[in-house]
Parts: sequence; C-alpha cells; structure tokens
Amino acid sequence: MEDFFANLVLGFQVALTPTNLGFALLGCLVGTLIGVLPGIGPVATVAMLLPLTFKLEPVSGLIMLAGIFYGAQYGGSTTAILVNLPGETSSVVTCIDGHQMARQGRAGAALAIAALGSFFAGCFSTLLIALFSPPLAKVGMSFGAPEYFSLMLLGLVAAVVLAHGSVVKAIAMVVLGLLLGLVGIDGNTGGARFTFGTIVLSDGIGFVPLAVGIFGLGEIIANLTSPGKQRSLVQEKISRLWPTAEDFRLAWPAVLRGTGLGSLLGVLPGGGATLSSFAAYVLEKKIAKDPSRFGNGAIEGVAGPESANNAGAQTSFIPMLTLGIPGNAVMALMIGALTIHGIQPGPQVMTERPSLFWGMVASMWIGNLMLVVINLPLIGMWVQLLKVPYRLLNLAILLFCAIGVYTVNNNVFEVMLTALFGVLGYVFIRLECEPAPLLLGFVLGPLMEENLRRAMKIAGGDPMIFVERPISLGLLIATVLLLLVVALPAIRGKREEVFQEG
Amino acid sequence: MSDSQPAVSRWSWHILARRDAIAGLMFIAVAVFGLWASRNYAVGTAFRMGTGYVPRLLCWLLLGLGALVMVQGLRSADAGSPFAEARYWRAIVLVPVSLLAFALTMDRFGVVVAALLLIGIGSLAGRDVKLSETALTAAVLVVLVVTIFIWGLGLPIPVWPES
Repeated sequence: MEDFFANLVLGFQVALTPTNLGFALLGCLVGTLIGVLPGIGPVATVAMLLPLTFKLEPVSGLIMLAGIFYGAQYGGSTTAILVNLPGETSSVVTCIDGHQMARQGRAGAALAIAALGSFFAGCFSTLLIALFSPPLAKVGMSFGAPEYFSLMLLGLVAAVVLAHGSVVKAIAMVVLGLLLGLVGIDGNTGGARFTFGTIVLSDGIGFVPLAVGIFGLGEIIANLTSPGKQRSLVQEKISRLWPTAEDFRLAWPAVLRGTGLGSLLGVLPGGGATLSSFAAYVLEKKIAKDPSRFGNGAIEGVAGPESANNAGAQTSFIPMLTLGIPGNAVMALMIGALTIHGIQPGPQVMTERPSLFWGMVASMWIGNLMLVVINLPLIGMWVQLLKVPYRLLNLAILLFCAIGVYTVNNNVFEVMLTALFGVLGYVFIRLECEPAPLLLGFVLGPLMEENLRRAMKIAGGDPMIFVERPISLGLLIATVLLLLVVALPAIRGKREEVFQEG
Repeated sequence: MSDSQPAVSRWSWHILARRDAIAGLMFIAVAVFGLWASRNYAVGTAFRMGTGYVPRLLCWLLLGLGALVMVQGLRSADAGSPFAEARYWRAIVLVPVSLLAFALTMDRFGVVVAALLLIGIGSLAGRDVKLSETALTAAVLVVLVVTIFIWGLGLPIPVWPES
C-alpha cells in the first residue's frame, strides 16, 4: 500500500508539470471537439495527431493521446442530447433518451448528468487502473512466448465476438489485418513479403496511413455519399443546467451500475466505450420498474450509458499498459505510439518506466476534472461549433488527415497509401465489415508471428507446447469456449439484441 | 433496407450482388492474390519457418473464411445490396484524388499549394458547393496550418514552392 501512494505521488509529480498539464488540456480539448463533431472519431484523430507527438517526451505524447480518447466520450454526449446525432458511436444510445429530455426542455439536466456521471466513472476507473495494473503486470512478467501467443489469440477472438455484425466476417477482417501487418521485410529470414519489388513497401505498411485512411477518409466518403442527415439542434437556450433532486435520485444508481459494467467490459479485449454504453442501456431498461419511460426521456438512459462509456474507455488502458495487448482500435494506436518512441509495450513498462505509467494514470484523473469544466460551463461554445456546415468540416478533416500522414516521415507515398485505404475503408462500410478487428490484427500480427516462431523454436516445432503449458492451455480453452458460445443460437440472439438498440 | 427491393429468385445472378456475397468475394480475391504473390516464398517447417510460412497459412485461412461469408450471403434472407445508396460516385473518386494531388505537389510546391489543391478538389466532392464559401474556408485553413504546424510546432515541411 505504501508503494501505491509513493507511485501516485510520483505520478502527480509528472502529471502536474506545466508542460504535461498543457498537453492534458490540449488532449481534452481536441477530444471534446471531435466528440462533439459527428463524422470523425477518436481512432482517426489519434492516428492523425500521432506524428505530432513524436517530438514530445513519450509521457507528454501519451497523456495528450489518452485525453483525446476519453475526452471524446464526454463530447459525444453533447451532440447526442442536443442534436439527436451521435457525436461518437459510443453515444448512440444516449440519443434515445437524451434527446427526448432536450425536447422536453431538460437539456441542461441531461448534459449535467452525463458530465457528472462521466466524471464519477472516470475517477473510479482511474483508481481501478492504479490498483489492478501492478498485479496484472506481475502475472504478465511470467509469460513466455507460448503464453503470449495464446493470449493474443484470445484477444483477437474476443475482439471479434464483441464486434457487431457477422462473426465470420469479423474473423476474416482480423486475418486480413494480420496479412497487411506482414507486408515488408521478414525480420527473421530477411525475405521480402508482398513488397512487389518496391523499396517503399520494404519497411511495411505504416499504421498511420492505414488507420487514417480506413477510419478517417472512409468515414468522410461515406458522409458525402449518404443522403444529407437532418440536424435538429434544440434551439432553446439551456437555462437550467442543474438537475433537480428527483433527477439525482433516479440517476445516481444508474451511474453506479454504468460505472461498474463499463469498468468490467472495458478490460475485456474488444471491449471499450461503445460496447459498454450499449450494454448499460440494455441493463437500465431491463431492471427499470417502468421500462416504458425509456425512449421518452428517462434520465437513467443517459446516466447509465454515459458513465459506462467513460469507464470502459479508461479501463481499456489496463490490458494495453500491463500486457501490451490492445483491446480496441485506439489502444492499438497507443501500442504503435509506444513502439515509435522506442518503448517495447508489455509488463516491463511499469517497472522500467514508472514515471510514464503513473504519470499517465495521474493525468487521467486531472483530465477528467478538466473535462467537467470544459463541458459544463463552456457548453455554449461547443454548441456553436455544431452550426459549422458538414461540407466545410469535411474539408478541414481531409486536410488534417493529409498533413498528419505526411509529417510521419515527410513521405508522399504514405499519403497516396492513405488515399487507397480510404477507398478500402468506404468499401468496408458499404459491405458492413467492421474495421476495428482489422486494425487489431494489423498491430498484433507481427508480435504474434514473433511469439509463434519463438514458441516453435522452444518446442522444436511441436505445436503441443501450446496445450502442455497450463496458462497457455487455459487461454486457448477460453478462446475455444468464446467461439462456441457465439455459435450458440441463444447467445447470438442476445448479442444482436444488445447491438440493436438505437 | 431489404424491403425496398422485390425478392429475387433464389438462383438468379442478382444474389451475387448481395452484401455478404460481395464481401466474401473480396476476401477470396485477396486470398487468391496473396497465394499467387507468395508462390515463390520459402515455406520451411514449423521448427524453422520460412518467409512464406505464416503468410501462406493466413491466405488459406482467409480463402476458407471468404467462402464461408459468401455462402452465408447467398443463403441469407437479407437481400440488401451495397449499391443501393452509392449514387454519389463523385465523392468516391474525388476524395482520394484530392489526396493524390496533395501527395504529388507537396514536395515540390510546398504545403500552401498542396493544401489549396486538396481543398479545391475536395470541395467538388460534396454537394451544393459555394465558391465564395470554399475560398474563405481555404484561406482560413491554410493560415491555420501554417501557424499551427510550421510556426507553432516547427515541423520540417516545405511551405512555399522551391525556387
């Protein structure tokens, strides 16, 4: 316990330097901005801004990127409540009751509950990260190559199971991602793979062009090609920001439930903000005494999912920071950011770079505090932003995508690659293929191959090593169980039900 | 989505236009291409894996999965076609083209010219373009980019054309 406090003090010393405070604030502002604006999500933004963090200290860069991710969860609710459009996918369900509340003149209460619920969830889940990461990292330290391979396999399969839509398609997307991750010179044999004799591909496909193309450009093309969505901004002035005592009475149990559920789902591979908010909404509706209130402005329908998405966003850092395993697309980018800074992701990060780990944890708490201020008193400013037409926003996003990718290596080839991945991203949207599993496969591919090779070396080419080592066997059994569970019709129905809301 | 179309007969070639059938075909095409491209890679053994071991394994896996997705698509009741809303081909072509224009001009002509080209082409991708509005946006964005990225962050990227 003494260690714990010493670590926290260290963390706050790092996070409270003016530079890091500044980057935390910047991250939270950018996060809120993209959260409020529909059409661009945290994945594309983090990918776009990644190159800008290369010149910073690793901890400052990560503090900013993390701020973007959890900041977006706050901002997303604003648009959902006031415009009935989800600013982020994780606030899709907030639209249902949040916007109804706004129509009834209770926009202020909805916004305040969303922000306060998120703040509570953010504080609680930050505490969870601080408490549970060190023991988990200890477990990770004992893992060898076979255990890591099995763990990554479990991670990928879980990501697939928890994605929406067809499981087979999601698995195919993972495999496609793994294949894209192989492009370039094979580090073990020196042989070129899928480079087609070019030099530009010999270093492999950069993950910035891939992520910006698929998540940023693909989304822009889809926005431009789909019939214009109507925005119905609630115009009345938000006069009363503070919720009534009745609102509080109804909301606080939902906040607690949402925080608990979100914290739990965030840790799972494939979990994170979106799944947490969907699940929390379903839960609130299930246990409500009068479910018919949902859809007509029930405050629990805002409090639960908004707390859950923030909790889920934050706890999804746990597997990334302790094991080096990304649970969702943003965490995959964080792994990339660490690698670029020359930090090998994995359990050793916490012991070798305690100031990085604890500085980030402390900054998350500070960031959450900043976000309440950014979102509540300054709400009017963000609402004004929603009046900027889409067609102009798209141009700005397009330009920032191009410059973001270019600045990685001052390489125009990567910009062209981004254009190609943009078209691919649009195709994926049209074919209803979830792109997140692809990004996870892309990032984990080289690591998995490395561990597979090492395991095979240890075992002399005998694949039985994966079932002979108990931890590896346990992870593989969990993987198979997960696959079997999705195949069961009853569960499949339930899974579809969860994603059907909204 | 499915209710806007009349039911197609089971074996008409139209079912190939179903969303999952196309998705399956896409995966199969990538897998076949991968197998072809890696035909000369040394495979090696599980103990001593060659360059081609993992890639070819994944290609075969993708081939199987693609076939499964396609079969599911052909058999499913959902006749949704991905082409139903794809009317605005302009965006599909012009958004990538605007990036290509940026890429081709950036090194020689600098970020100002490249950004203006990108915005010019990119604005044509949308509907109801207003020239004055686009020009104003372009001016604001270029000033922003130069102040933030070049003066603010000091990124080493060319601003003006090489003389």
